Amino acid sequence: MSVGFIGAGQLAHALVRGFTAAGVIATHKITASSPDTDLPTVQQLRKLGVNFTTSNKETVSRTDVLFLAVKPHIIPFVLDEIGPDIEDRHLIVSCAAGVRISSIEKKLQQYRTSPKVIRCMTNTPVVVREGATVYATGSYADVEDGKLLEQLMASVGYCTEVEEDLIDAVTGLSGSGPAYAFTAVDALADGGVKMGLNRRLAVRLGAQALLGAARMLLDSEQHPGQLKDNVCSPGGATIHALHVMESGGFRSLLINAVEASCVRTRELQYLADQEKISPAAIKKTTLDQVLQQPGVTPDAVGVRSRGISMFNSSSSSRTKKK
Amino acid sequence: MSVGFIGAGQLAHALVKGFTAAGVIATHRITASSPDTDLPTVLGLRKMGVNLTTSNKETVNKSDVLFLAVKPHIIPFVLDEIGPDIEDRHLIVSCAAGVTISSIEKKLLQYRSAPKVMRCMTNTPVVVKEGATVYATGTHAEVEDGKLLEQLMASVGFCTEVEEDLIDAVTGLSGSGPAYAFTALDALADGGVKMGLPRRLAVRLGAQALLGAAKMLLESEQHPGQLKDNVCSPGGATIHALHFLESGGFRSLLINAVEASCIRTRELQYLADQERISPAAIKKTTLDKVLQQPGVTVGGVANGNSKSGLSLFNNRGSGLKKKN
Repeated sequence: MSVGFIGAGQLAHALVRGFTAAGVIATHKITASSPDTDLPTVQQLRKLGVNFTTSNKETVSRTDVLFLAVKPHIIPFVLDEIGPDIEDRHLIVSCAAGVRISSIEKKLQQYRTSPKVIRCMTNTPVVVREGATVYATGSYADVEDGKLLEQLMASVGYCTEVEEDLIDAVTGLSGSGPAYAFTAVDALADGGVKMGLNRRLAVRLGAQALLGAARMLLDSEQHPGQLKDNVCSPGGATIHALHVMESGGFRSLLINAVEASCVRTRELQYLADQEKISPAAIKKTTLDQVLQQPGVTPDAVGVRSRGISMFNSSSSSRTKKK
Repeated sequence: MSVGFIGAGQLAHALVKGFTAAGVIATHRITASSPDTDLPTVLGLRKMGVNLTTSNKETVNKSDVLFLAVKPHIIPFVLDEIGPDIEDRHLIVSCAAGVTISSIEKKLLQYRSAPKVMRCMTNTPVVVKEGATVYATGTHAEVEDGKLLEQLMASVGFCTEVEEDLIDAVTGLSGSGPAYAFTALDALADGGVKMGLPRRLAVRLGAQALLGAAKMLLESEQHPGQLKDNVCSPGGATIHALHFLESGGFRSLLINAVEASCIRTRELQYLADQERISPAAIKKTTLDKVLQQPGVTVGGVANGNSKSGLSLFNNRGSGLKKKN
């Protein structure tokens, strides 16, 4: 089995590092592509032994499981580019926040009758094999395809199937979650430094405390509130600290964060559902690089008013739906 | 080597679970004591095969490394009770927030000339072998004693030696830290549930996200801010969320929390430095149980003395004169 990544940024890099650390796939069976070779992650992927190319079409032809690891608004663009190259064997796994299975299937059905699509939301701790991943299976993908993806993603952390409706909420919680944690550790370390610890020790202790607490919760049947109670001895230091947190509405800030990320994800969905990409959203040099691929021509007519969509002269004998 | 715990509450329970999971010591070589047998943790300790007793003196006799796992204000009381039973072999490890090595040594010097004392601050995730522990070594304990403690505590998580001056700050950060995390996880799960996730999944995903991020940070040389940047794609969901956190002063609340816990720890230190315990701080039934030990009597103090309180007198003290 070969795995491909359209996009060679943070997510592709994290997944490749996780998969290789887990030993589920050899690096020479992984291909990644991006028109932009300046990304620092491209360098790192090369170092890992991944086949790197500037041609998305090459990635498609060399792989069976194809991860779409690009920003949401790029998805329609990429789908038009690689659509004609999709074969029956391909399993398309979109990791793009907010992009629905139905919008991907709709695009690909211009080229194939039953494109196998799965949507997933993961997060960067896959890089240390402690990721959190959920997925939903599209109309034409089988249960076995879901199980295949689950096996891959479970090698790098927690993975479970969910209803597609829930994926935006998961994005807000565990997709963005690591950023909340990094911010928290930075602040905790500031607190430790204020009270006299050296920075390195403060970061270490803060991260270890969060890790240990999270591990306790995952291993316990108890409510987080009960575990919190167990740490708060009467009149002690911890309950004093908790009071200042509650006074500042700490819990509410986190609920706000999850909500904001989820709401923004739904906005991104709306943008991605547009079948065309605004020319303002893509660099000319990138467009040129893509247009160098054989068989791809721009639809000049639609550029000004409606955005660019890629037409592929190598598409099969199906009439193109507009 | 035998290990004893004065106190059979949350901390003793967590340490015993961690040590036994790590395999560093067999449960039959562990003794724990508490006058209060109603604690839920007492049952848990019994189930694990620990020798449970109501007599602190028995724990002292049966152990070499002795953890003081009681609340700070109880420490002077306990030290008076077990003082005469301390032998040369004993290594006293105090886990009590804010209690200084010098205050413990001062009490024990009434009974022995060179009591070996260490002070440590750990946290409850030792129970899953992911604790955070720091320790400082007292005047009469050797470097080898420190290494012994470090070996024990490193089996259940991160452990390092620090200057005793820093321990109050560590209490505020990693001692109390798990409670900040549990509160955050409860709130994150609320956020997930608000946006449509079932509770169980929301708790699971929230905890997994925190765990993964913490692990990334521990295994990376990069600054937490850099790691945060890497998660924030332009115009994406995460940076929108972060703005809400910043607008609400999220970072400041956490700095406040660490500071508040550290300051309270220093207050507790002041209370523990009192050589006597206020009678209002101890239940009559507990006092009675302790007084049933052979050789222990209590001395009350006259009214009007601002340092009034109980201290235990032990007529089994060695040839040292008792300082009052």
